[in-house]
Amino acid sequence: MNAGDRIHVERGAQAYEGVLLPSSTPDHLVVKLDGGYNVGIDREDATVEVVETDVYDVESAQDEEGTSTVEFDEALPTVSLISTGGTIASTVDYRTGAVTAQFDAEDVLRAVPDLAGMANYRGRVVANILSENMTPAVWQDLARAIHEEIEAGADGVVVMHGTDTMQFTASAMAFMLDTPVPIVFTGSQRSADRPSSDNVMNAVSAVAAAKSDAAEVMVCMHESESDDRCALHRGTRVRKNHTSRRDAFETVGAEPLGTVDYEAVREGEPAAAGSADEGGVTFRREHAQRGEIELALHDELETDVELVKFTPGTDASRLAALDDAAGIVVEGTGLGHVDTDWIDVIDDLTDDGTAVVMTSQCLDGRVCDRVYDTGRDLLAAGVVEGEDMLPGTAKVKLMWALANTSDVADTMSEPLAGEIQSQSRPWT
Amino acid sequence: MTEYDYEELGLVAGLEIHQQLDTATKLFCQCPTRIREPEESTRSLTRYLHPTKSELGEIDDAALEESMVDREFEYLAYDTTCLVEEDDEPPHRVDREAMDVALEIAQLLDMNVADQVHVMRKIVIDGSNTSGFQRSMLVANDGEISTSEGSVGIEDMLLEEESAQRVEETDAGVRFSLDRLGIPLVEIGTKPDIRSPAQAREAAERIGMLLRSTGQVKRGLGTIRQDVNVSIADGARIELKGVQSLDDIDDIVRNEVRRQVELLDIRDELNERGASVGDPQDVTAVFEDTDSGVIRGALDSGGVVQAVRLSGFDGLVGREIQPDRRLGTELSDHAKRHGAGGIFHTDELPAYGVTEDEVAALREAVDAGPEDAVVIVADDPETAELAIEAAAERAETALDRVPEETRDANDDATSRYLRPLPGAARMYPETDVPPVTPDESEVETPELLTEKVDRYQSEFGLDAGLAEQVAYGQRWRLFEDAVDRGADATLAAQTLASTVTELRRDDVPVAHLTDDHFRATLELVADGELAKEGVPELLTALAEEPGMDAAEAAEAAGLGSAGEDEVRAAVSTVVERHDEQVAEEGMGAFSALMGECMGELRGKADGDVVSDVLREEIQKRA
Repeated sequence: MNAGDRIHVERGAQAYEGVLLPSSTPDHLVVKLDGGYNVGIDREDATVEVVETDVYDVESAQDEEGTSTVEFDEALPTVSLISTGGTIASTVDYRTGAVTAQFDAEDVLRAVPDLAGMANYRGRVVANILSENMTPAVWQDLARAIHEEIEAGADGVVVMHGTDTMQFTASAMAFMLDTPVPIVFTGSQRSADRPSSDNVMNAVSAVAAAKSDAAEVMVCMHESESDDRCALHRGTRVRKNHTSRRDAFETVGAEPLGTVDYEAVREGEPAAAGSADEGGVTFRREHAQRGEIELALHDELETDVELVKFTPGTDASRLAALDDAAGIVVEGTGLGHVDTDWIDVIDDLTDDGTAVVMTSQCLDGRVCDRVYDTGRDLLAAGVVEGEDMLPGTAKVKLMWALANTSDVADTMSEPLAGEIQSQSRPWT
Repeated sequence: MTEYDYEELGLVAGLEIHQQLDTATKLFCQCPTRIREPEESTRSLTRYLHPTKSELGEIDDAALEESMVDREFEYLAYDTTCLVEEDDEPPHRVDREAMDVALEIAQLLDMNVADQVHVMRKIVIDGSNTSGFQRSMLVANDGEISTSEGSVGIEDMLLEEESAQRVEETDAGVRFSLDRLGIPLVEIGTKPDIRSPAQAREAAERIGMLLRSTGQVKRGLGTIRQDVNVSIADGARIELKGVQSLDDIDDIVRNEVRRQVELLDIRDELNERGASVGDPQDVTAVFEDTDSGVIRGALDSGGVVQAVRLSGFDGLVGREIQPDRRLGTELSDHAKRHGAGGIFHTDELPAYGVTEDEVAALREAVDAGPEDAVVIVADDPETAELAIEAAAERAETALDRVPEETRDANDDATSRYLRPLPGAARMYPETDVPPVTPDESEVETPELLTEKVDRYQSEFGLDAGLAEQVAYGQRWRLFEDAVDRGADATLAAQTLASTVTELRRDDVPVAHLTDDHFRATLELVADGELAKEGVPELLTALAEEPGMDAAEAAEAAGLGSAGEDEVRAAVSTVVERHDEQVAEEGMGAFSALMGECMGELRGKADGDVVSDVLREEIQKRA
């Protein structure tokens, strides 16, 4: 008896007939009845008779025949679709019952037919992982892949990424790559196997953004709960601020960089007269222009970097235990504070050559360790103020700075990729 | 209505009963199961839906047909709905209360409960579910109910979430209201064991009674819906959706049988005549100068007229197949499905401003002879083309068979074409909700309403009519509670069943009356502080001012029970006023005077007390 067989099960007064599915527990047979319902039957005391074998090939039922044959259109730009896994490219795993990533980039085209006609596509799979399993090593693979794609002529890059750690990967790309074309991250908060998935609108909007003139690393996700617009966030300023909403992603400390009007993109509306933007894509602020800088890759990373959050009661010994780290980002309270017991430990760490950067768990606003005594003592102990950087972004930047620059303190205080906003104007 | 020999025709029918449960919270979130008015909505959002494949890699026909139309759905949200209804938060675990009620129902229907219940996604992309699917689970199967024409098997019982209420069509699509989405719903499907219209109705009534016996189902319009599956031996399986009233079920079945019989008759006649369906063609030229309002309107806004010749159909397109519905109506339903307003056909023309000359020109244009019929559609070019194709296709089918389809029940027990039958492929597992292992051990089998009726008669001495009124009404719990607290059973029953109905007829706002109002009123009577004759007046006062305390209201209305002195004084006054009559007739005057005494006391005194005192007073004087 195998998954895909048609079986007849009797157990006591109950009788069921249907297709056996890969079961999620060893105690139950899961059978798909003719009406389409699945039902779990206790294996114990159940008599099973196989009526017909291999009625369905459950393993490959999701696979389409052949590959998509999208014709090359010289009039259209070329957009490289890179998949790293995640909800936008996911389907149901019938072993665990959970949602897992199974699609490659070609599948994304098949899954989102609405993308056809917007660009010529190059598909590429860098990883097939849930974004919680993302590692700096995959960031490096991804940066190299994007570099190759742009070198090969891509006019824009769209990275399909799980939403959980998208902001970290986007930040990493912002530091590792000097890009002359848009690099747009997108994903979905509702899995692609449901009709209401946000994947279609997010992917279509991301491709529109990848065709624009903003040579930035951006995150393109729903602006509100409605399917009307996507927000374009700067990769280094964005944060997932909700567990489940479509509009979970927000730019911290500013309005989003731009907006994609889904309706306008779907209807192929031309850009406004005199605008260099793609139809439906608008920007609020200045951004790097397409072709402005030379493509370059700086893919070294120091991975021995920790992000430590201070909350009342966290003993200084926790920090002291990190004395081997090359760098530590502290997520302090308020303007950038920790328990005064921590200060001596920080002093020792910096003396031993560990870079210590202060950020704030307020998330919004700038660190300033010159207002209160604790702050002044922290500065004296060698802490670098992380300005208004998001703690997660600061960690990625510190990994990059330690491997690519000589003066880490200076690098951490200067804006490289929009991660630090020199002027605090959160309303813009 | 003609009664056919249903056995000879091979009638097979089954029922699907959908009943909302009256639980505190919804099936997959903690929101209340409360219906709101669209005006109370505090926010709204818009979405699109996209078809997806089941885990077996199939896309359903019905779902695909829905998705062909690219529509925008708007959802109204309330301060009683949350992110779960908006499909912006994963569903919570299956509501325990709803599962318990479902298990009670399973017991009443004598069903086997599944060892492990799996929540499924039933793809529905007409927008009525924000997720694009309805969450549904098979809780039990293989049950049975009895009817006077034999037992009817119960195939399965599903526990599922109610869909969002459709508010209205908008320019871009449809507006829905999220208040109803997620209310627990049980769907009970019978086996195709029903063999007559009367049995269909009886089975539906029986299931309805069993459901209400739980005391945990919602009441009122739209809270129970019946679908009926009907076929005859040479016909086809038809799913009739949304029969709102139980009383219509037998007529719906009769009308569907008639439709199938008539359609088969038409088929045979068509085949005898060697009938066929032509290719659609543009006949706009024929109607260039028409005065027909419908056609003129279409042409003036850039539309066209499409026609198809139905060779050998003359007279049959207009043949009635259900009360006031013809084969032409079926063709028209299919045309409407593709956006057209409807069709005209030569069996009904000249009419609607189309002249005899135009009909002749039309016949000529499509080369139709006197034995042929012609169908036309006037609309914008794209719609007209799709609509005439659809009508022609339906006519083609008429040559061969009764098509299997889903139909919408009309209010007059007829039905109209809705969509193709849904397939089984539109299901896949709801991975956000872990399977549930039902625990039947804590579920008690509720007393059936029929058993309640018997018990109310034997235990409380209610007459059969009153017992049934109370048991089948919405207040039997309150009734049993009041009797427990010492209220007179007959009075409590009358108050909760007939008095309320009478007050409603007198336009008293009885909807304002709460359980506490009834309880307090009956308690005042039990404690001798209110005469039972004062109950209607007190309830009226409370309905008009629901904020008042029952005792206060009774006092304010002067309804406090009169003491014996007051009664005697009032009775004496009446008796003295009629002393001559009393002297002459003695006890014979009793009836005449009783009414006057009660009037004098205006509901403040118990009739039994008044009658005793009056008897005494008359005796004194006689």
